[in-house]
Amino acid sequence: MATKPGKGDGKQVKGKLRTSKNKTDGPGGGGGDADDFDAWMKSRQLLKPDDQLDLTEAELGEEITKVLTPTNTNIVRNLVVYSFKEGEFVPAPLPGNTVTLIAFAGNSLHVDSDEGRRQIEESDEIGYPLPMPNYTVVEQRETDNVDGEEGEGEEDDDGATAKDAAVEDEDVEEEDDEEAKGTEGDEGEGEGEGEGAAARQEDDEPAHQAAAVSSKKRKLINQFNYCERGALTYTNPKRNVDTQTIPPPRSQFGANVLQWVIYDSYMENFAESQKDGTKKEERKRGKREKKFRDKSAIAEQLNKKYLKCWQILERMINQNIYDDIAHDYRYWEDPADEFREGEGNLLPLWKFQYDKTKKMNVTDILFNPSYYDLFAVCFGSHDFMKQTNEGYLCLFTVKNPSFPDYIIQTDCGVMCCDIHPTYPFLAVIGLYDGNVAVYNLREDCKEPLYVSRGVNCKHGECVWQIKWGLDMADGEVNFFSVSSDGRVFNWILMQNKLWVTTIITLYRENGLVDGPDGTKVTLKSGGSCMVFHPVDNKIFLVGTECGYIYKCSTAFSSKYLMTYYAHNMSVYRIDFNRFNSNIFVSCGADWMVKVWEDMRPDPLFIFDLGAAVGDVKWAPYSSTVFAAVTTEGKVHVFDLNVNKYKAICIQAVVPKRKNKLTRLSFNEKLAFIVVGDEKGVTTSLKLSPNLRMMVKPPKKQLYLDQNTLQIGKLEKLLSLVRELPEGSTAVPDAATTVRS
Amino acid sequence: MADEEAGKEGEKKIVHVYPLVKHTDMNEEMRIEAIELSITACEKYSSNYEHAAKIIKENMDKKFGIYWHVVVGEGFGFEVSYETENILYLFFAGNLAIVLWKCS
Repeated sequence: MATKPGKGDGKQVKGKLRTSKNKTDGPGGGGGDADDFDAWMKSRQLLKPDDQLDLTEAELGEEITKVLTPTNTNIVRNLVVYSFKEGEFVPAPLPGNTVTLIAFAGNSLHVDSDEGRRQIEESDEIGYPLPMPNYTVVEQRETDNVDGEEGEGEEDDDGATAKDAAVEDEDVEEEDDEEAKGTEGDEGEGEGEGEGAAARQEDDEPAHQAAAVSSKKRKLINQFNYCERGALTYTNPKRNVDTQTIPPPRSQFGANVLQWVIYDSYMENFAESQKDGTKKEERKRGKREKKFRDKSAIAEQLNKKYLKCWQILERMINQNIYDDIAHDYRYWEDPADEFREGEGNLLPLWKFQYDKTKKMNVTDILFNPSYYDLFAVCFGSHDFMKQTNEGYLCLFTVKNPSFPDYIIQTDCGVMCCDIHPTYPFLAVIGLYDGNVAVYNLREDCKEPLYVSRGVNCKHGECVWQIKWGLDMADGEVNFFSVSSDGRVFNWILMQNKLWVTTIITLYRENGLVDGPDGTKVTLKSGGSCMVFHPVDNKIFLVGTECGYIYKCSTAFSSKYLMTYYAHNMSVYRIDFNRFNSNIFVSCGADWMVKVWEDMRPDPLFIFDLGAAVGDVKWAPYSSTVFAAVTTEGKVHVFDLNVNKYKAICIQAVVPKRKNKLTRLSFNEKLAFIVVGDEKGVTTSLKLSPNLRMMVKPPKKQLYLDQNTLQIGKLEKLLSLVRELPEGSTAVPDAATTVRS
Repeated sequence: MADEEAGKEGEKKIVHVYPLVKHTDMNEEMRIEAIELSITACEKYSSNYEHAAKIIKENMDKKFGIYWHVVVGEGFGFEVSYETENILYLFFAGNLAIVLWKCS
């Protein structure tokens, strides 16, 4: 089996192959075959290699003997390997003569083999029932009934023996060839007679069978004989469950799209949107207005707070800027006064002006009775031809010369004003158009608290002076006003309106004039100023444009208590002496300033100032001092105690040609005056010490206070004048007139 | 009259290019989204309505679930059944009608 023809170099084998290779000759095998072969050979031309030996017949016929031996001739016999152990080349062990051509592992296990026996034992031990191999069953059956199922048994047996043979093959392969042949032969026999084999196996069986029976002939496991140990679980029964949801609701819609459809839709929508738009806009506007109002109200409140802060800041800044003036205003006393007898001067301090009233005349100046530093200035126009359509009442404070603290704007010139002595926030103004208005300075200065309305409830002409009256018996606040229409009105502040009554109509004496159609017209004289008696509040004096001064009472409306033929032209101002209420001073356009005593038709003093005198005021600190301003721009200060004939100070405050002084006011507390001019500027002037000489009490009467002394001083002066005969008074007066 | 109208039309057509919703039952959110989408698409592909429709459809599918159908055109008629609350019939640019509806 293991020999190959090519390899064998045996001498005994003859080269039959070679002969068969020879082309032509040699009657080789069987006859039939040779014929075919010849036929085939003939049909083709054999190619002969070039180097083929050409042998003769004798050579061809020579016999060459070859002997086959069981030794492997290819083995290298003198092979050596180097041994590191011994340090020299040692002959390598000879490989055997065996050449393995094929090795094939079988899948059978012999029952009597070690492995088989071990498995049987193990299965016994664990008691695990291995599935029975088929052949053992068959064998058992065979033992039982030999005849019945022989065929089947044979088949099985065959399979079993075949398996056994294969196993043996494997085992035998490593054994000698002869042995192998022997066993094959055996097997062949066994195959040949199945029954014989079975019988022989049965002979072997007894011991084996006992084991098999005891172990119930288990199947032996080898690497090719697997044992399945799968388990089948229950299959759950299947069930079908289905639900159907409600499909989402559907609707139908259809339309035709055409250009005109689109166009019409747009038109319709546009028209609607326009309608809506207008409505919405209106609504929005309404809302906006509301919002705006709310906002503005809030903003105003906020602004007021801010305004207050800014006012304080402004005052601080002004105080820094006008630091020197602020000092002068309080503490500067002109040292020159010590060296001049009976003369004084005026030190200009601040100028107060407001941008919007630069071209207007100062029509009235008045200090607030409660706050000494606060004074009201009225702006309007004295020129009939140049009336402005706006007027202002500004309240300045000397603490802030740069800007008025309060501004009240009106739509025509403000001619006069008065501030209530007990309610210093109530200001009443008389306007050029004959109206009067009351403002509350604490509140908004934009809208008047009261304003005269209608044709009958107002003066027909310019209101020249306005004065708060003493509160009525039932506590109603009221004021009086005089106008060039010849009437004096009393205004009472009712709950929500002004109640007006005519106090007196200033008819002229002998004023009956022939009117048209034989009627008689009584002429009225226009009032130009008025002043209340400081003590008897029913009595008041009214100066007229004809130059008369009427002494009237609020109790009688028809009769004058006294008429003074005071001036030849309009009377501008009258002022009562602060210490003696029987003495008053008047001034007029006829350049004259006259000092009067009550119920004495002739003046006590007459001074000619050389120009129309706009205003005259008694000083609050002295009974004999008064000051006057003229259109020449000069301030005249008189102290009758010092000089009965001349002013002790004449000082030009504004340029003569360009400007005129109109009004004047004494500060009640400090020694300074404010004068207003035609350019809307108010100048404050400090009176030098000579202009405010106090009375030195006589040594024997040191206990007397200044008031008594002042009264005494005036009395003394008056007694001098009174004693003089009427004629003689005029003479010195004439002598004392100041020539301009 | 005709002339006047024509004149008016020429003048007013220029004015009315705003999107005008002719019919819809969508909810607020979807409607706004759909209108926005339609306008964008139609403005972008004003020369190719097919493309515009495709874009609208794809976007609507993405945003509000599949099975949207979109028609963009200047003149057509339609009769569709749709899943309620999923239709928008819109005019745009004065001459364009866009119909979007969902139906699975």
